[in-house]
Amino acid sequence: MIKHSSSFKRNSLAAAMLIALAAPAVQAADLNISGFLSVGGGMVDDDNETGANYGGYEEDLTFDRSLLGLQVTGQVNEKVSATAQLIARKNDGYEVNAEWAYLTWQASDNIKLRGGRLRTPFYIYSDFLDVGYSYGWITPPREVYYLPFNNVDGVDLYATQTLGIFDTSVQVYFGSFDDEFDLDGVTTDAKTRNQMGVAATLGKDWWTLRAAYHETDLSVNVNGAILDPTSGLTLGQFLGSLPAQFSFVAPRVLVEEDKASFTQIGFTIDTGRFVAAAEHVEFEPENSLFAKNVREYVMGGVRAGSWLFHLTAARSDDEAVNLVEGIPAVPQTAVLIGTLNAIAEAQADKRDVISLGTRWDVASGVALKLQIDDVDDEVRGDQKVYSVAVQTVF
Amino acid sequence: MKKLFSSLVVSCAMLMPLACVAEVAVIVHPSAAFDSLTEDDIARLFLGKSKNFPNGAQAVPINQNEGAAAREAFNVAVCKKNASQYKAYWSQLVFTGKGTPPKDGGDDAAVKALIAANPNMIGYIDSGAVDASVKVVFKVP
Repeated sequence: MIKHSSSFKRNSLAAAMLIALAAPAVQAADLNISGFLSVGGGMVDDDNETGANYGGYEEDLTFDRSLLGLQVTGQVNEKVSATAQLIARKNDGYEVNAEWAYLTWQASDNIKLRGGRLRTPFYIYSDFLDVGYSYGWITPPREVYYLPFNNVDGVDLYATQTLGIFDTSVQVYFGSFDDEFDLDGVTTDAKTRNQMGVAATLGKDWWTLRAAYHETDLSVNVNGAILDPTSGLTLGQFLGSLPAQFSFVAPRVLVEEDKASFTQIGFTIDTGRFVAAAEHVEFEPENSLFAKNVREYVMGGVRAGSWLFHLTAARSDDEAVNLVEGIPAVPQTAVLIGTLNAIAEAQADKRDVISLGTRWDVASGVALKLQIDDVDDEVRGDQKVYSVAVQTVF
Repeated sequence: MKKLFSSLVVSCAMLMPLACVAEVAVIVHPSAAFDSLTEDDIARLFLGKSKNFPNGAQAVPINQNEGAAAREAFNVAVCKKNASQYKAYWSQLVFTGKGTPPKDGGDDAAVKALIAANPNMIGYIDSGAVDASVKVVFKVP
């Protein structure tokens, strides 16, 4: 499955938040504006014969990964603030979307309650995924940072606490999300309900450990997925043509309010001279055609002056689901079993990626990054990806 | 390429003058109920990990402006981060609503004037600029 974060439906929330924030500005309230910009692109060494190129790049160098983000925070009163993060992406035609828009109630020095559209705390780098300047890569490893749902509409609680010599934090949230994303080239509707999760960190000076668990009722409309490109047969048509005795197969394939869980463990290290990070994640959408995704990466790097050099090994080791249980293996069912196995296999990625990259802090607030990815995909073959970005905060 | 190389030399050379900066003193209001802080206490305040002095009083850290020699020396020695790392660190907190970096208070004289007038503030200035209007609680070695 090719997943990438898609554009959110044009929403009036962005405009509403801006107006809400702009109003107090007239009265010279405490209004903070900060921003980030990433201009980048890349190319692959050789087009894939089957399926899309890694990272979506072409054989020719294209600069199509640019994004501009503006964050506006307005202090409503001493305890309450309103924040909106508006992002315009090149691959969304620079349509402006409010990826974050929330109210914060600072309940105490250590406890915040927020409500609105929040970033889902799936990963270590989730919170600042779009702020490339804040980390070493151009983007965090795609093998692990692949989920198409990055945000959630809901409420959360974020608490920090010093325990002895350790710094700890806990974030819990509840919410839902409606989105569209690209499923093997077909735009599909997806939604989560009763989405909830907890993420916790434990750290000291130069190291931080993190673990997270999330679950939700996931629905994805997979009926439109194309099974056979030559005939245009869709998954929905295929399921509809099944003989009555195999009608139990359809709910097994479809993703309709199926329980899905996501677990993450990881760490980061930054001693000043050396940096390292690793994450292992497992995404398990039960009772659906989606594979159990098992993904991980480990990164190590060293700083020399204003340069950072880093090496990352990332892996996808997905486990395809069994869609054929209960179907007798007789000659009459060979095609059906073959088709169902192919559907399941197509959702399971088996891939190793080695990335070598550098970040050069050109000036205060400006970083130039170069990266080479060596992709070894069991199905699509090998590919090399070259990418470049200039990333700033202001 | 030659230009790239010379930029590299310049950017590395920019790290060198830190050694030449005079001693930096961490200062608070003279009325503060304590006479010294540890490097760890101070780092926690300037990295947003703590919002209170060890005695529980509210603490408001004040930076010197970007590019000031005292700021670079302080960040490297106490926060263990050069200017870029410091900025990257804070951008992780700013863009997630998890923290706001210390306000920039100007140069030695401006920061000293701020600290002298605000019992909750903590800042740092060149040792040579210290006078009786502020109390020194730590000296950056």
